[in-house]
Amino acid sequence: MPATTSPRGTRRGSPQLRLRVGFVVIAMLLSVFGARLVQLQGLDPNSYAQMAAAAGQRNVVLPAARGDILDRNGEPLADSVDGLMVVADPRLTAPDAAEIATFLYRKLNVDYPTTLAKLREHEIDGTEARFEYIARRVPSTIATEVIEEAKRHDFKGLDTRRDPVRDYPAGDVGANLVGFIGTDEPLAGFERTFDKQLSGTDGSARYEVGGGNRLPLGESTVTDAVNGKDLKTTLDLDLQWYTQRVLRQTVEDSGAESGFAIVMDTRSAELLAVADYPTYDANNATASPKADLGSRALQDVYEPGSVEKVLTVSSLIDLGLVSPRTKIVVPPELKREDRAIGDWFPHGTIPLTLAGVIAKSSNIGTVLAADKFKQGQLDAYLRQFGLGQRTDIGVRGETPGLLPPGNTWTHQMQDRIAFGQSVSVNGAQMAAAVNTIANGGVRISPNVIEGSATTDDGKQVGTDHATRKRVISAKAAHQTMLMMERVVDPDVGVAPGAAVPGYRVAGKTGTAQRVGAECGCYDGTDTVSFAGFAPADDPRFTIYVVVQNPGNGGGGGSVAGPAFSKIMSYALRRYGVPPTGTQPSRLPVDW
Amino acid sequence: MSTPAMQVRSRIPRLAGSAVERARLTVVPRRRTAAGRAPFLALVSMVLLGGVVGLLLFNTSMQQASFATTALEQQSTRLAAREQSLSMDLERLRNPQRIAGAALKLGMVQACSPAFLQLGTGKVTGAPCSDPNPLRINGRPPVKPAELNPKTKVVRVEASATSGNSAGDTAAGNADRAVRDGKKKSR
Repeated sequence: MPATTSPRGTRRGSPQLRLRVGFVVIAMLLSVFGARLVQLQGLDPNSYAQMAAAAGQRNVVLPAARGDILDRNGEPLADSVDGLMVVADPRLTAPDAAEIATFLYRKLNVDYPTTLAKLREHEIDGTEARFEYIARRVPSTIATEVIEEAKRHDFKGLDTRRDPVRDYPAGDVGANLVGFIGTDEPLAGFERTFDKQLSGTDGSARYEVGGGNRLPLGESTVTDAVNGKDLKTTLDLDLQWYTQRVLRQTVEDSGAESGFAIVMDTRSAELLAVADYPTYDANNATASPKADLGSRALQDVYEPGSVEKVLTVSSLIDLGLVSPRTKIVVPPELKREDRAIGDWFPHGTIPLTLAGVIAKSSNIGTVLAADKFKQGQLDAYLRQFGLGQRTDIGVRGETPGLLPPGNTWTHQMQDRIAFGQSVSVNGAQMAAAVNTIANGGVRISPNVIEGSATTDDGKQVGTDHATRKRVISAKAAHQTMLMMERVVDPDVGVAPGAAVPGYRVAGKTGTAQRVGAECGCYDGTDTVSFAGFAPADDPRFTIYVVVQNPGNGGGGGSVAGPAFSKIMSYALRRYGVPPTGTQPSRLPVDW
Repeated sequence: MSTPAMQVRSRIPRLAGSAVERARLTVVPRRRTAAGRAPFLALVSMVLLGGVVGLLLFNTSMQQASFATTALEQQSTRLAAREQSLSMDLERLRNPQRIAGAALKLGMVQACSPAFLQLGTGKVTGAPCSDPNPLRINGRPPVKPAELNPKTKVVRVEASATSGNSAGDTAAGNADRAVRDGKKKSR
């Protein structure tokens, strides 16, 4: 036996030595592992843990869908569409820049030279550009198709990212109230005022992926997105469109500067249409001048002129101081302190009834009637009609108008305010005031939001918050209506063009001097307007048309009257309001 | 002391002594079974293998479900996007401006003032008519600046031939014009 073991022993060394060497090697290895363990766990454990978590983990923002802005029938004035932006990495696109640019020009209708420049290698602030926007807000179906086709052509370096599209299907219809969204944020109108409600809250999801698929048993947390709430307005898309087109024709044909028209539901004071001209295309808002992006109907102040006379005389009737048949001797000119008040038409001394004063829109007659007011009475009535206070319907930057405090009124001021000068209003205020007469003396606060909505400033607006308040008696309102009917009479009135054949229409023209922005004085230009309602004995719509500075020298009756008639005719037709079939008022205008 | 047991014992005949001797309890040697290890091992392996394969299958099916989820989610996103773009197209088609344009193209006219047909009596209130001054649905084109919109220059040429009847006049005029046109062309 020793003979056989000894040669093996010499080859392998002694077992003891082998064991020792083995232990030393194992100890060295283990100490290397131990050192690495200390390094990983003891020195900087967090960064490794994070790296481990980050590998394969995906954090995704679950975007909240932006609420739509709807008209009263649920038709969208603004809606959101899933969209993508097409972006490029110039380093990868540079080799085929020209082909890719041609391809993108054909598919996405982007500007060829600009796109080509973006696709070529270039530097931005001294560093190589690796990211360029090619097209933004592309509906995702189109963007995905384009990218897939680009892959087929073997174009590299194009990619997409989320970029929701806000679409205004009707373009300029209602744009001045609805507003628009800029590249990243809402910039005007309801979009901005009700942004919190519309935008909702984004959610998030975190999960692990492998090979593009979610790991079934991996970590996964999901916070659902809260979608934005729709905003329902009281506007009527089709009526709004028609009103805007009539207004545009009116402003264009009269060579005017601008104009607005308001259609109000008499019984609820809901605004069915608020048209502004010039307006803008909400899908391409930046192409229009900034001045056209707001709503002139609510943001511009102007003096209402003779339309205000109906408020003066209805207050006088409510106080029982006059009646439509009150006889007034109207001189050619009325000297008041150091100034003279004249009428728009030359006349001698004429005998007019109060109805005649309204039908012929006589300043002198109105001032003589208003002399019956005691100090402060007219002021109190005008404030109850809503002048001097914002309507707070949820339109940004609404002006409160300018009604001087009652205790500062001089005698001359009352004279001027009685026929609508020295007092400034906004369109919605004035429409609501005239609507008070149409609605039998009860003023309803106007509204353009259906239901209830909260502005970003925390104000509650909407039809749920409408208030009703009696301003004048039903009898006074009725008598004022009868006088206003004489305005559109072809024989005695000043605005036969405002009549709607077959219907009883009550209205009042206004031609006011305008205060120039620079001089702060009347600059020789006019604001012409017409406010009225129909059917006069059972009113359904109150319409107010205002045109600023018509270049053809027309007045309220000739410029705004026909526009009123067209819009009213359409509204009556659209809502199926039949004529009442009663006889129009035959109040005497003179004696 | 005579317990019943003792009485019973005493009654047993001594004759059965050898039988009693034989019936005495003794420790039985443990019986060695010859069952092999193989079935047990097979069972354990089966359980193990079954567990592993089952787990694998379960995992695979879950993965497959995950693939399906991903694919379906993508499809759902795609379809939602498609639905949205289609409804966007629909809304654009519903734009009152487009409808008005299409209606005019079809030759429809605008109504003047409302007229009503009473369904019960068949009576018509109001006179249906087309609007003599229809609404312009498109804005006026912007006015060109003067440089791009030169005034038309009108040169009045007195007719040279003053005699003859009107037909001759026209013929002469035509001839004249032809000559002028020819000149223009030759220039």
